[in-house]
Amino acid sequence: MKHAFITLLAVAFCSTALAEVESGKPAPDFTATDIHGKTHKLSDYRGKIVVLEAYNLDCPFVKNHYKTGAMQELQKEIASKGGIWLVVNSVHEGNSSHRNAEAAKNEWATQKMNATAWLDDSSGEVGKKYGMRTTPHVFVIDQQGVLAYQGAIDDKAATNGDPREARNYVRETLAKLEAGGRVQVSHTKPYGCGIKYAN
Amino acid sequence: MMRYRSLRLVVLASMVAVLSLRAMQAEPSHTQARLVLDSDTVRPGESFLAGIQLIMDAEWHTYWRNPGASGMATAIDWELPEGVTAGPIQWPVPSKLPEDELTTYIYEKEVVLLVPLQVATNVAAGSLVLKAQVSWLECKVQCIPGGASLEATLRVGPESKPSAAASQLRHWQTKLPQTQSTLDVQATWAAPQTDKLRNLVIEWMAKDLTQGFDFYPHESDGFEVQPNTVVTQSGNGVVRLTKGVKLLSGEWPGTISGLLIGGTATNRTGIKVTLQPGSKDKTSNIPDAAVPLPPLLQMLLYAFIGGIILNIMPCVLPVIALKILGFVGQARDEPAKVRRMGLVYALGVVVSFLMLAGLVIGVKAAGHQAGWGMQFGNPQFLVILVVVVTLVALNLFGLFEITPGARVMDTAGALASRQGYVGAFFNGVLATVLATPCTAPFLGVALGFAFAQGAASIVLMFTVVALGLAFPYVLLSWQPAWLRFLPRPGAWMERFKVLMGFPLLATAIWLYSLTLIHYGPRAWWLALFLVVLGLAAWVYGEFVQRHRVRPVLAAACAVGLLAVGFAYTIEGQLRWRSPITANAANSSVSNKPGGIDWHPWSPEAVELGRANGRVVLVDFTADWCLTCQANKKFALEVPEVQSRLKELNALALLGDYTRLPAAITRELNRFGRAGVPLVLVFSPARDQPPQVLPEALTPGVVLGALNRAAGRER
Repeated sequence: MKHAFITLLAVAFCSTALAEVESGKPAPDFTATDIHGKTHKLSDYRGKIVVLEAYNLDCPFVKNHYKTGAMQELQKEIASKGGIWLVVNSVHEGNSSHRNAEAAKNEWATQKMNATAWLDDSSGEVGKKYGMRTTPHVFVIDQQGVLAYQGAIDDKAATNGDPREARNYVRETLAKLEAGGRVQVSHTKPYGCGIKYAN
Repeated sequence: MMRYRSLRLVVLASMVAVLSLRAMQAEPSHTQARLVLDSDTVRPGESFLAGIQLIMDAEWHTYWRNPGASGMATAIDWELPEGVTAGPIQWPVPSKLPEDELTTYIYEKEVVLLVPLQVATNVAAGSLVLKAQVSWLECKVQCIPGGASLEATLRVGPESKPSAAASQLRHWQTKLPQTQSTLDVQATWAAPQTDKLRNLVIEWMAKDLTQGFDFYPHESDGFEVQPNTVVTQSGNGVVRLTKGVKLLSGEWPGTISGLLIGGTATNRTGIKVTLQPGSKDKTSNIPDAAVPLPPLLQMLLYAFIGGIILNIMPCVLPVIALKILGFVGQARDEPAKVRRMGLVYALGVVVSFLMLAGLVIGVKAAGHQAGWGMQFGNPQFLVILVVVVTLVALNLFGLFEITPGARVMDTAGALASRQGYVGAFFNGVLATVLATPCTAPFLGVALGFAFAQGAASIVLMFTVVALGLAFPYVLLSWQPAWLRFLPRPGAWMERFKVLMGFPLLATAIWLYSLTLIHYGPRAWWLALFLVVLGLAAWVYGEFVQRHRVRPVLAAACAVGLLAVGFAYTIEGQLRWRSPITANAANSSVSNKPGGIDWHPWSPEAVELGRANGRVVLVDFTADWCLTCQANKKFALEVPEVQSRLKELNALALLGDYTRLPAAITRELNRFGRAGVPLVLVFSPARDQPPQVLPEALTPGVVLGALNRAAGRER
């Protein structure tokens, strides 16, 4: 009995540490600084589709999306339609996968990234607010600021092979939003590596 | 110059070599992979076992078939010669790694993934090369994809011959999840947390294991079994745990598969199960028709007899004694008045019962479950009743009189006149109120019948019970001559009256003990208030009623004492309107050493016990149910029953109805009962309906039912 109570407490504690967002509900607002020092506020992008990508290039799942160029293509596609793509790097400063502004700018250039901005979230604030669990965990927010999709980027959790062959949920959500239809799959289980949050 | 250039070239070349070497070593693999077979030679048509052995560096791990929140299951891509086919991977039971908030299911140090392979009958003798492309994700803090191309040679020949690795593979076979065809496991959806999050309750019999219980889910689509596990019950082999299940998309799953886990890290076992949550038809496979409702007339007769028997139940007995006293006093009065008094008493009983009926109908109409004696689960009702019963006891002690302004009676002959119509009516009310925690033989069946019916039926049945309860007095009031055997009125009556105050005081203390579960240590203030109440009653009786010394001031004092006492103790300290809301859902069961090993009741527990071939004894009881306490003491917790339960390996389940949980009310109604006690004995044989034991039990009745359930009719 006592044990169960403690476990319940532990459960409650854990679930508050990493928040959860619900598809179909307004996405929580946030303000974050990118690697060039520019501030981005989610609500400022109201009227545009916003994609959040939990990012860490050292994660082999993420790496596969970039080294095949599939991720950059998708970013370009979003940009061409007037959408916003925010790369969220929540790796804490003590981890070897952390990138300081200089290293991040280099990586941005070498990977030929086509995102709107790379947000420095080494505090984990944005990541935890959205309950980002893995890299690459993606979130799609519609023009009204409502969370349209959260979960895996596609249905193929792989560290090799061509991601273009997979069913891409971001692309699918985007098409549905543009057509004004209902998003069929609004929530999937994300795959990938742990985020490496600051404690 | 040439020399310099060539030298620079050499340096450059060696630098390139070093660089490329470093590039190759930039991600050194932390996992060594090997393909081993359990056979050197197999005959055509035979099957054999292959093992992918992964040996990981310290602190590095690879993943189970369901990696969990992150990671990736190891994959095997076979390149097999014609005629050889591979089955699915058999995964040893993994470890659960709670890492940050991402729980994963992993293998550390070493794992051998087993794969059964089959050689077709038409494969010619000779040597075959089996190739497996294995890919995995290895993680410490960072994750690195790993892979290996493995090969092994197998001979096909006339004589099968095991390999040197056979024993190693057999060892790893023992680490695979078991499949138990006889295992009975139940899964039910508990109350939903939100429309996307539900609690899944899993119960099973975990034979020898005592700890480390968990459920490791297989990989799933559209939903996710949360990693946190709450074990709400374990012991005596029954394990119950709760897992959150999150719906991601689509419908709630009809089946959830995974492993039931038990044991420690060094000796962990898993049982492969496919759960079908919410299969309620399985948990309540007793047809409702098993308890056919008897005809109305018979039920009315039961209600009447039950009402009469209620008179001698311990709750009502003190009131009865008073009533008898009244008759003795009235015996010489004019017959007409005595008859009227009897009728007024009956009226008091009937009116109280009708109010109870109204309450029951109201509660039922409001969509709640109603039960006999349910008001005893209400803390405020208990407080009021403690006060009332204490006052009656003080009255019997002669501290004060009920009739306002009455003088002290020094002759017993005047007693009857004191017991006016108001007194008679009040006696009827008190008898009813005190009767409710008791139930008598016949009464349970009758009331159960009434509760299952409409409003008219409830009113009818309650009235008949009331008439039964009042019947002996009405009869005596019409035939006072029958009381001739009692001594003539005299001073003994006053002593008898005081004597009867003690059982009532005991009743008050018993009622007081019931408030403890609702108020905890705060109930102490109620006891203090009773003292203040006694003081006020004395002031009133002594100075207002008896000696009339400045009666107005005395009355003001009494009222003042009560008001201040009530405001301070009951309102201020006891806070009687806000009882402690304990976690009623997880009421624990405390067992006395050497006594019956009780476990909390749930329909699932009953089914689990039966499925495991055990006789199941269920006792629905409540702290306020005196009949239940008597049954427990005299018919259940007795050596014969205790030892027979042990001998039969029977499961004893206790349903605590003290706080009136709806689940137990439903179960009571299912067996046609309106309240506790209800004692059931289930046979493991599914075609046998449960035995419903009578309200008042004897050890013989219980033993007989246990024997019948165990198929040992003697």
